[in-house]
Amino acid sequence: MGNQATEMLKGTLEGIVLAVLSTRPAYGYEITAWLRDRGFTDIAEGTIYALLVRVERNGLVDVEKVPSEKGPPRKVYSLNTQGREYLTGFWKTWDFLTARLEQLREGSK
Amino acid sequence: MPDTDDNGILAKIIGPKKRWRAYKARVRALPEDYRLAVDAIERFLMLFAPKDGVRIETQFEDLADLFEQAAADGTPVRDIVGNDPVEFVRTFAENYTDGGYTPARARHRLIRDVNRAAGDTTGADDEGTV
Repeated sequence: MGNQATEMLKGTLEGIVLAVLSTRPAYGYEITAWLRDRGFTDIAEGTIYALLVRVERNGLVDVEKVPSEKGPPRKVYSLNTQGREYLTGFWKTWDFLTARLEQLREGSK
Repeated sequence: MPDTDDNGILAKIIGPKKRWRAYKARVRALPEDYRLAVDAIERFLMLFAPKDGVRIETQFEDLADLFEQAAADGTPVRDIVGNDPVEFVRTFAENYTDGGYTPARARHRLIRDVNRAAGDTTGADDEGTV
């Protein structure tokens, strides 16, 4: 991904992480792997972790520590009610942006 | 209530120190490449000032959590920090700080040291663009 994609992704990655969590609870490594499999190949696991810390601090997810076979317990994140509301807002903003950008593209043809 | 006050003061002085020592011990226990990466990130994070009401020890404990888990999973250092470690560390630091002054020299050093930790000696010291 080029610099343009990185810059655009910056503002949407938090919403993307919440959207992934809306399908099922997951831990950081799983979310990163899921995104990489779907073409977000340059996503750093640390960046996803940093965003998970953020959404946890903002009260958008619930966290459960699950014992792991290898290493320390894993933090499993699940979207809570507040997170779902936040995600609804994210998609509304997304719809607004994409609709306006599409208008702009049509207009410039 | 001198006892309570003393406890409060002691907790303030000794608490952070104990947490810091515990964090340092956890970092020492990491495999070498992970430890080198954490050391480099720690140096860079020192340039950021904590937010009001946020204990900066938490930031370092969260950093240790990330690298311990990644080491257990066998995630390579490069996959943790990405191609642009500065971007990752800034995103991470935003949780605990109001930003900081990160001169070019410090950014180059972070990139160089993380490259070394990731076993990439061919990379230039330039800031990543990806």
